[in-house]
Amino acid sequence: MQSILNDPHPHRIPSLPALVAGLGLLAFPARADETCMSPYMPRITGQEEFVYVWTLGDESIGDGSDKLVTVGVKPGRTYGQVLHSVSVGSRNEAHHGGFTDDRRQLWLAGLETSRIFIFDVHTDPARPSLIRIIDDFAEKTGGAVGPHGAYALPGRVLIPCLSNTSDLGGRTALVEYSNEGNFIATHWMPTQSDPRGAAIESVADGYGYDARVLPRKNVMLSSSFTGWSNYTMDFAQMVQDPEAMKRFGQTMVLWDFHARQPRKVFHVPGAPLEIRWAWGPTHNYAFTASALTSKLWLVYEDADTREWQAREVADIGDPSQLPLPVDISLSSDDSTLFVSCFGDGKVRVFDVSNPHRPRQTYEESIGRQVNMVSQSWDGRRLYFTSSLLARWDKKGEDNEQYFKAYRWNGRRLRHQFTLDFAKLELGRPHHMLFGSTQLFK
Amino acid sequence: MPHVHPPHPAGLHVRTRLLAARIALALLALPPALPADDGLAALEGFSYQPPQPGTYTLPVIKPAADGQVIDHTGQTRSLHDLTRGAVTVMSFIYTRCASPRACPFATGVLNQIHEVAGARPEFAGRLRLISMSFDPENDTARRMSDYSRWARERSVPVDWHFLTTRSATELNPILDAYGQAVNRRSNPRDPQGPLHHTLRVFLIDAEGRIRNIYSSDTLDPRLVLTDIRTLLIESGTAASPTAG
Repeated sequence: MQSILNDPHPHRIPSLPALVAGLGLLAFPARADETCMSPYMPRITGQEEFVYVWTLGDESIGDGSDKLVTVGVKPGRTYGQVLHSVSVGSRNEAHHGGFTDDRRQLWLAGLETSRIFIFDVHTDPARPSLIRIIDDFAEKTGGAVGPHGAYALPGRVLIPCLSNTSDLGGRTALVEYSNEGNFIATHWMPTQSDPRGAAIESVADGYGYDARVLPRKNVMLSSSFTGWSNYTMDFAQMVQDPEAMKRFGQTMVLWDFHARQPRKVFHVPGAPLEIRWAWGPTHNYAFTASALTSKLWLVYEDADTREWQAREVADIGDPSQLPLPVDISLSSDDSTLFVSCFGDGKVRVFDVSNPHRPRQTYEESIGRQVNMVSQSWDGRRLYFTSSLLARWDKKGEDNEQYFKAYRWNGRRLRHQFTLDFAKLELGRPHHMLFGSTQLFK
Repeated sequence: MPHVHPPHPAGLHVRTRLLAARIALALLALPPALPADDGLAALEGFSYQPPQPGTYTLPVIKPAADGQVIDHTGQTRSLHDLTRGAVTVMSFIYTRCASPRACPFATGVLNQIHEVAGARPEFAGRLRLISMSFDPENDTARRMSDYSRWARERSVPVDWHFLTTRSATELNPILDAYGQAVNRRSNPRDPQGPLHHTLRVFLIDAEGRIRNIYSSDTLDPRLVLTDIRTLLIESGTAASPTAG
């Protein structure tokens, strides 16, 4: 723990046979965005042109405000360069974001202020423009705060939250807004006292973090982290507070997605964070990593009983050394899982061809601290950023703030370029999302 | 490999004489009816049982916007009038679309709903369907008439309107209000078709409020019928199956 403290011809008329053949495609293709986003969007399958980086403001850097930074990643004149930056004029604990289902808007959330910043990313994809700020989130949602990000649903976005206005603890909700930015509904997480019909495996803490849908099974999974009072606290102070350390999520919830009703609460201790559904049309499972216990978990539908289960399937590094796995990225062929570990700055790569028996095949030191990992659909390019939370990032020399690009040949990573976000006076880079002009042509 | 992969790639430019074949193909893509419930099997790829009608709520998403449209006879109609007084399932389409997961698929699903609902008294006068074109320069009233003849020949007590607009001037505010994104492809002869769009099908209650929005991933006729029944139960025009 001490090491942490330093811390998507010609004109021809189709023949009848051709159209009939096309109808064979009605089986769902692997329909997800660049390996980690909503399945309800178009995806970039070729070379991404931009990486949008949601960046925390640092009062000692530049104007001190949160920013949306556009990095050019298309090979050519602008490769590896910052193309554009939009300051939102405030610090909000910039965290995660997501596109609307038409991929025209990018919604970016602030964990501390519960503000949501909506950007137009289709008029000029290289130069997003801020078009709306939602600043009455707590009031509209009936007390949900700490919007984690935005997940595209048809015509609306799903916003999983981390906290609530009553006690600023972990009890929270899933919230829906229309693409126009209007509140639709709040779905509170199941708790012991209000299970909302869910079967509880061990405990129902009501906590939240990520939420992702497997449409063909009509299921949604949500995960859990911690509340406002913890994620806004200095990390060293928090780890020395026994009561604060009790306030971490230990559940995942399986939902009837269409009904928005919880079906089962799994006991997954240690703050299970990011959720990644497998892509294969018969792969009824998802991975998550528990940050505090450094375990890889599999949530799967048992082929015989058709019951959904959750089980530990691997250690991530040496849990006793607290590698702190914070983000995961599953390849589009379901074979490879990248796990970024904030504690030791490493990415660990697992062969997950057998999801019940993941096997680490490679690891690489990315930096003194590393948080997010994003992967191109073809699996050839990976990008990393450094910042976890403003008050949880490492201190001193360990506080590297970077955007790094790598190539992956199936066996090892090869570094391409680094952008020092501190030297560039941008801030602390966190969530990454891919952009392309080709989406709108 | 294409640079981007739209979830609902737009279709090919075809002649009017191919429209009936296209619809037939869409129907071929649907599973054979099973003698259970509404006689609908899960579409290929869907693997779940829908919830029971009336056991969940459908929050209001937004009002269904008005607009000036024309029907297949060329008569001017108000979208407001066509989205009030009954539950409405409205699909934005264009007839040049050939993508199996886009407009032909949506029209095929609406056809299933039309067949099922048309045969059940519970829906009579309480449900209507709308297929609304976003390609007025090609989808004239005459073309929409040709496109829809097979459906309009079906004599059932559930109306199915095939609408278009006179021009982009009338169309664009409607697309904006419903959030239906449509882009003209850079190559008008693209085998995917001249237009790129996101498949959107809207469920509108009798008061004219959008209560669900479906994409190709969620446009399961079993779900849509469940949602329609849920709205009918909510409005007191149908009995809940769970009511004692």
